[in-house]
Amino acid sequence: MLRIPCPCCGERDEAEFRYGGEVPGSIPQTDVGDEAWADYLFARDNPKGLVHERWCHSHGCGQWFHVVRDTVTHRIHAVYGVGEPRPVVDCSNESQADGGR
Amino acid sequence: MADTNAHRHGLEPFLASVESAAEARVRVGVVSDRGFLTLRLDPRNGAATAAARILGQPLPPASSAYTEVVHRVYWLGPDEWLIETGANRAAELISELSEALAGRPAAVNDVSGGHVSLRVSGVDARTVLAKGCTLDMHPREFGPGQCARTSLAKAVVVLSVADDAPTYSVIVGRSSSDYLCRWLAHAARPHGVRFSILQDT
Ligand SMILES: [Zn+2]
Repeated sequence: MLRIPCPCCGERDEAEFRYGGEVPGSIPQTDVGDEAWADYLFARDNPKGLVHERWCHSHGCGQWFHVVRDTVTHRIHAVYGVGEPRPVVDCSNESQADGGR
Repeated sequence: MADTNAHRHGLEPFLASVESAAEARVRVGVVSDRGFLTLRLDPRNGAATAAARILGQPLPPASSAYTEVVHRVYWLGPDEWLIETGANRAAELISELSEALAGRPAAVNDVSGGHVSLRVSGVDARTVLAKGCTLDMHPREFGPGQCARTSLAKAVVVLSVADDAPTYSVIVGRSSSDYLCRWLAHAARPHGVRFSILQDT
């Protein structure tokens, strides 16, 4: 069970949240063709290591926000709000010691 | 009004069947005659002030707090509040708020029929609630004036601390209220529990 620090409510159990998946890249232009759109809509990096994800505190404040999580250790390195820039996260994390990424 | 109340919370079959302990270290009161409104608005414009003027009290701006002056106003999210008031005041309040917020990006809805208000008190109240809740419920972290929308057992509730007796207020969806009362009866059985109906407080 993860303990997720909601930017509004503080740390709560994972069971109170809805997972919104990995944050995709920026929305492509309308004229870039099907392949670029399919990539944007369906393809995800699924990295071993740090990933930027969307979560919604559905059983609490109801707000969507971003979580930077290490998929190897489950450690949460940062949370940031919708529309906020991606924080700079120190990558010298334990997953590298495990041979991650 | 007794019949109306009974119809409102729908817990009579449960209350008729539940056993009462001779010595109760936990008491659960089903509060009848409560009215509930949800209020959604952007607090950065004047809507919060307009709503506060009608309510006669400020909207709690900070997370996880409620204000109690005329009504109880619970913070649910950065743009969402739950107002608990007397059932007979809900209709009047909703029309006054709607008028004051007309033309603004705001919404106010009567959700009285969808909520049940419980008071959980007694020396072991915190111990019992903590069995089904992952919040840190130590008084240092969660004391009078604080509230949280969170999970209690498998139900979503608005949990708040009324006083340090301790008395907790638990607002639960009507459709989850029978389940939650049965869960409370089970979780509190080793402590001794007594259920009752409380008139509008
Ligand atoms: Zn939250």
